Amino acid sequence: MPAAQSFLDRFMLLDLFGGLGITFRNLFKKKVTIQYPEARREPSDRFRGMFRLDEERCIKCTICFRDCPIDIIYIDWHSEKNEETGKKEKVLDRFDIDIQRCMFCGLCEEGCPTEPKSIWLTTKTYELASYDRWDNLYVDMDELENWKVRPAYTDEEIA
Amino acid sequence: MSEPAATDTPTLFDVKEMELNFGPQHPSTHGVLRLKLKVDGERIRECYPIIGYLHRGTEKLFELHPFFQNVPHTDRMDYIAAATSNLAYCGAVEKLLGFSTPPRAQYIRVMLCELQRISSHLLWLATHAIDIGAMTPFFYCFREREQILDLFEEYCGARLTLNCMRPGGQPYDLPIGWLDQCAEFAAKFDACVDEYEGLLTNNRIWKQRTVGIGVLPPEVAIDYGISGPMLRGSGVNWDLRKNRPYECYHELEFDVPLGTNCDTYDRYLVRVEEMRQSARILTQCVEKIPDGAIMCKKPRVIKSAKETEVYSSIEGPKGEIGFYIVGDGTAIPWRCHVRAPSFITLQALPELVKDTLLADLVAIIGTTDIVLGEVDR
Amino acid sequence: MDGIREALGDSLFFSGFSPLIKIFIVMFVLVLPLVTAMIIIERKILGFIQFRTGPNRVGPWGLLQPAADVVKLLGKEDVIPREAIKWAYLLAPCLVVAPMFIIFAVIPFGPAADSDSAPPGATMNLFVTDINVAALFVIAMATLGVYGIIIAGWASNSKFSLMGGLRAAAQMVSYEVPQGLAVVGPLLLAGSMSLVDIVNAQREANLWFVFPQILGFFVYVVAGVAETNRNPFDLPEAESELVAGFHTEYTGMRFALFFLGEYGNMVVISAMAAILYMGGWMRPFPNVEALAFLDGAWLPGPLPMLVPLVWFFLKILVAMFIFIWFRGTFPRYRFDQLMELGWKWMLPLALFNIFITGLLKLIV
Repeated sequence: MPAAQSFLDRFMLLDLFGGLGITFRNLFKKKVTIQYPEARREPSDRFRGMFRLDEERCIKCTICFRDCPIDIIYIDWHSEKNEETGKKEKVLDRFDIDIQRCMFCGLCEEGCPTEPKSIWLTTKTYELASYDRWDNLYVDMDELENWKVRPAYTDEEIA
Repeated sequence: MSEPAATDTPTLFDVKEMELNFGPQHPSTHGVLRLKLKVDGERIRECYPIIGYLHRGTEKLFELHPFFQNVPHTDRMDYIAAATSNLAYCGAVEKLLGFSTPPRAQYIRVMLCELQRISSHLLWLATHAIDIGAMTPFFYCFREREQILDLFEEYCGARLTLNCMRPGGQPYDLPIGWLDQCAEFAAKFDACVDEYEGLLTNNRIWKQRTVGIGVLPPEVAIDYGISGPMLRGSGVNWDLRKNRPYECYHELEFDVPLGTNCDTYDRYLVRVEEMRQSARILTQCVEKIPDGAIMCKKPRVIKSAKETEVYSSIEGPKGEIGFYIVGDGTAIPWRCHVRAPSFITLQALPELVKDTLLADLVAIIGTTDIVLGEVDR
Repeated sequence: MDGIREALGDSLFFSGFSPLIKIFIVMFVLVLPLVTAMIIIERKILGFIQFRTGPNRVGPWGLLQPAADVVKLLGKEDVIPREAIKWAYLLAPCLVVAPMFIIFAVIPFGPAADSDSAPPGATMNLFVTDINVAALFVIAMATLGVYGIIIAGWASNSKFSLMGGLRAAAQMVSYEVPQGLAVVGPLLLAGSMSLVDIVNAQREANLWFVFPQILGFFVYVVAGVAETNRNPFDLPEAESELVAGFHTEYTGMRFALFFLGEYGNMVVISAMAAILYMGGWMRPFPNVEALAFLDGAWLPGPLPMLVPLVWFFLKILVAMFIFIWFRGTFPRYRFDQLMELGWKWMLPLALFNIFITGLLKLIV
């Protein structure tokens, strides 16, 4: 009955009612929104977030510095004679990362030859926004090693 | 109002055309595309796209870094389909350096790319629908896209700018349980597409807005060098996955949907069907994926041969995305050019929108599925 | 009330003060809260349709969101573009809102105190005034709103605004006609243009006019959606094409006034739909005696007086839900298609409906 079919199509607005039906069904479906500051999404294990550095493990090879596609890692080191062992060792003077420009590609972590890695991004920390452009985002060695919880939002800021 | 075309001073009513700057800050130019329009009422007489607002010199950046460091830069060209850009670049570098990817890595790549194709098409559908005024499909599409991004995050740790491939293979193996999640997603994805289609495909308003709009005859499409769903919507059977199989596509079964009327509606149908086919490919990949290495054996020192040039392309969600790389015997490309499908599709825009209405312009920009990051590079 | 009446004297009370109070009550107790509530209701329902939760930050379940919006909009800078035609630019939002409020003068929220349908103990008419050409008055006033939009589009001196204004003009003119003709159906059936009489006629006929007027109702709804610039006919402010259409250049409270106007017009259209087609303040199924308890005569004190109001508001809300539901579902028409739909389909349908109604009236 193509004639009846085309009549139905044309005048009964079935297509429109079908669409209305779909939206109406969804009216009662479970909501998918995550209520952000109260409920947080747990990042996956491989999530590339904020850096962490372990100076002890670092062998000062500067591969991370060379692997960085946008050159935001700054490393200075010098040799120093260890008093106890009497051997010459490399000592880090500076290990800075300009996180502002970082694109979290993870190449520095991938290049790191130590096992386990001396620099890694799988810290599941992703809240790096700050109110000030120069705030918190040029990170030096101490901070890379010792940051506890980022970001340091106060309760008022969340509210 | 507008500059008069004639030399003599016009009276108020002599002015027939008005110049309209559409963008770069306009809700539906999908980024920072600027169109200089000459409109007569609502009818567009002339359209002149102006690009470059998102130019970041990516091609030049490629010349500054060794082959391996350039992968993150490719993420940022077509930022809603990073995996396919990665694959296109890695494919070109592998061709240049003579690497061959292990089969498991190939399967992983294909899965990532098909997921990426689905997510790119979902984003396209979402924005296209919202351009034409349907608000809800946007959220429906994003619900599924979110799941895909979760899968990406599980695999490589990033959701958008994936950086998930390396020349020669894959940086990581699949996490435990990833394949099951992927299969689960592919299995229930069809029902989701049904939902979008229920809202749009038969809807008379959607049809009125898209059927016969932006007709791109196959000859014209070929002349412009347009590829991807735009070309297939015009009925030209050209899909690099079939016609020039790369990775493991020759082992997989899928259909290439084709349009007949060359219009916006057909391109919509083609892309929706492509999403279903991608889900089909995913299911097959999950079954067929072999065990084994994920990275090929690489020489200690990586250098291209002197004065070599390669061109390698793959079928991205938006069309043929290709990399042309010239090596000069060092570890750094001497020149790298990107054949960006969005850029080429954009060339046809003035012709498509000529003498259409302003509302159609929005529909046509939507159907071309351009990403300005890729256009400007 | 009675004290004030004694203090002012009867003549002054009836000519001046009593209408003022009524107007005040209608505007600030009935209409404005409903309109502001619509903002949150719309966002909530749209959110639910799209499996989001909608606004939920301000107050419990986000119920104070409209208040927050108003405060925010009041605090915004009032930008007037340098090239704008200033007096017209400032006038336009008022022209959109004022007619909307004027319409509520004739909308009956409930029965007259002395009518048969009045609940027991009714002491006041639940409407400001009942004029004998109310239906015409509503349509005329609703049409005035378009001037505000056209002027806004022109005075902003922006190309996108201008196009929005032009579209609004064409759209409103072409949908006025079918809407007016659709309204003729109930008028014919009731034999009166007074909205109170129309509802009373439905009560006497024991029948909502939506049943004999299903075609007219359909035309009315479509034209009503187009009148209020709502999706799928939201061309004058089509976001993806014209940025924000006629109110692109407006900020702060002036923008809010356009918003208020849009939602107010939605309420008007819904209220008219309720009055003309869905029995106004009557409970559903007025002919089923078993449902008589829904009239609420058993409620204590003066509460039965408010029952018609509740029904009326419920009907408005149902109609508003349909508006929002449409917005959540449909794509947008194109300009020429919209005109085509209006002139080639809605107008003949409305005329046909009048013809059928006339025949019915003759036969029955």
